[in-house]
Amino acid sequence: MKKYEMNRWLLILVAVFMITLPTGGFAKVYKLGLSLAITGPTSDAGNPYSKGVEDYFNYVNDTGVLGDDTIDCTIRDDQYKNDITKRNFEEFLDDGIVFYLNYSTGSTLALKKDFEEEKMPVIPASFHAGNLVDSNYIFLPIASYSAQAIGLAEYVVKNNKGDMPKVAMFIHPSAFGRGPLEDVQKAVGAGLQIEIVEVVEHGKDLDNTAMLKRLISKGVRYVISQTVQSPVATMLKDASSLGLIASTFGEEGKLTFLGCHYTGGNDLVALAGDAAENFYWTTSYVITNEPGPGTDAQLALAKRYGRDEKAANSHNYANGMMVAQVATEVIRRAKAKDKEITKETLYQELLGMNGDNAFQPETTVGPVTFSPTDKAGVDTLQLYVVKDGGFQSAGKPFIPEYTAKIK
Amino acid sequence: MSYFFQLVISGVVVGSIYALSALGFVLIYKSSRVLNIAHGQIIAAGAFITYGLTVWANLPIYLSFVLSMILTFFLAMSVERIFLRRLIGEPIISVIMVTIGLMSILDGLIYLTPFGTENFSFPPFLPVTPIAFFGVSISWTQLVGVIVTFTLIAGFSWFFKKSTVGISMRAVSDDQLASMSIGISVPRVFGLAWAMAGLSAAAAGGIIGNITGLNFDTLHAFGIVVFPVVILGGLDSILGAVVAGIIMGLIQQFASGYLDGNWGLNGTGEVLPYIILLIILLFKPHGLFGIHEIERV
Repeated sequence: MKKYEMNRWLLILVAVFMITLPTGGFAKVYKLGLSLAITGPTSDAGNPYSKGVEDYFNYVNDTGVLGDDTIDCTIRDDQYKNDITKRNFEEFLDDGIVFYLNYSTGSTLALKKDFEEEKMPVIPASFHAGNLVDSNYIFLPIASYSAQAIGLAEYVVKNNKGDMPKVAMFIHPSAFGRGPLEDVQKAVGAGLQIEIVEVVEHGKDLDNTAMLKRLISKGVRYVISQTVQSPVATMLKDASSLGLIASTFGEEGKLTFLGCHYTGGNDLVALAGDAAENFYWTTSYVITNEPGPGTDAQLALAKRYGRDEKAANSHNYANGMMVAQVATEVIRRAKAKDKEITKETLYQELLGMNGDNAFQPETTVGPVTFSPTDKAGVDTLQLYVVKDGGFQSAGKPFIPEYTAKIK
Repeated sequence: MSYFFQLVISGVVVGSIYALSALGFVLIYKSSRVLNIAHGQIIAAGAFITYGLTVWANLPIYLSFVLSMILTFFLAMSVERIFLRRLIGEPIISVIMVTIGLMSILDGLIYLTPFGTENFSFPPFLPVTPIAFFGVSISWTQLVGVIVTFTLIAGFSWFFKKSTVGISMRAVSDDQLASMSIGISVPRVFGLAWAMAGLSAAAAGGIIGNITGLNFDTLHAFGIVVFPVVILGGLDSILGAVVAGIIMGLIQQFASGYLDGNWGLNGTGEVLPYIILLIILLFKPHGLFGIHEIERV
């Protein structure tokens, strides 16, 4: 009996030793934080975004992308409220995070000073160019909204037939909407050949007839939107009902609608239905309507973690997945150089992500490049257009020319 | 000139939908003097139930629309029974605070479903080509919305003026104690008021959802967007909700059509209704059709 008990204790000791040795001895856990709107306003974007981040970090841990080391990313819902975002960020700091993922334009601008004080590398889901002003630690994952709007305006110039194209800007009544407008106006000042006839800051309109007829009466042929899907969908439905949607790009007497990242995607088609046909949309992400290595990886990841079709095919899922890829990549690179993983080393790895060290996540249409003077990751944009109820590529990826000219 | 008439048509369409959305506030206030802050959430719930019945249960959309109104009728009645019945006789502010809490609960429940964070659209069921006459056009969605709105409003008006239950609801609104003394069940009246508000909210949700698409943020915001309509019309007047709704709709469309884009103005359609509301309230503090009560002591 005594011998049996001794054996049992020996076995338990060996088991405890075996379990604790690898984890306690060598494997490390890197703490990250993400605060975003999983519920509340804009959660139609935030929810799939959070799933993309969560699934990719689970994949990293489950498949040993970082060897025995793992990433522990705490994801918290802030309901699109800046005060909750700030509280979440402060709690993440207490937890000892080395990298932070943020979400909205408002909270990114509000916490900019905190990021500077903490010297915390941050990637938000907001592509607002103003995030980068007086900031060293914020990195946009893709081209800014300003670059997107300028890119759309350049496409209009190149494909318009006739006189100087007359354009209206349909924007969200916030910094998110207004920021790109100022940069498009700067581009016009620098020689971009469009005339901005009117700027419409939308509300919660049930009927846009007056606005659409007014734009037509002023000779407007293109409407560039920088907002979210819902108001664009209502506008497209009204334009469709009035027979004002151009069937070919720039059709005379009709309106051709274009929009930046958060105006488009499958959600727009879900909201606007057939009225979304011929809507032009730009983003730096690949979309699952057009299979490739990046979309295959996206769909496989979503399938692996049991996501439904809607989340799997969302460009916001790709968006979340991509920022998690970037965060993982900087950790991997720092590890490969035997550096200790701290916010400072990860910051340095981000700054060095250029030239031969550019990162190709394949969920985007171009490489991710950062440097001390370039904090926008993917500079390349792709134009998509809705045909037969789904977005498809229109032309090849491009980099807006006037973005550099107005710097 | 056709531009002017187009704006009139658009204004009436938008205004009548405002009126229908505002009706729920009025029905509850008319009988119980309570402002239901969670009305926007009930509008959204009605729209989502219609969608669920149409797309997931494969019912014809017209039937789904009616069923959704019936379901929301009972949903709202249950809400009153569970959360508000115990507060009869308590200060009004307590009841309003409960409706704020109710708003959070309904928000949370809807966020647990796909409707909280995803976008949907009703399957097309009306002709796409709008009806056009003399250069003025109106979409079938808008036309059906207006017809449903005015039918419901006429029904509610008749109900309150002619039916025994409707008259007893008005009596409760005037004086609860006196109503009880002649045998009217005040709790039953409150339950019915909530139920009818739920019914009108479901109708409003279905119509708004068909116009904007089904997005929770957009739908529940209408609970707040129509607030000026309720105040302008007078909190306890169905006719007031209709008139104020159409006034607001017309002001929005005319401001957007004639002011926006000129003289550096923008977004006047959003602001002008509030300015006019303030001006009218200066002269008619109880709204256009609100009852001005005089207490003699």
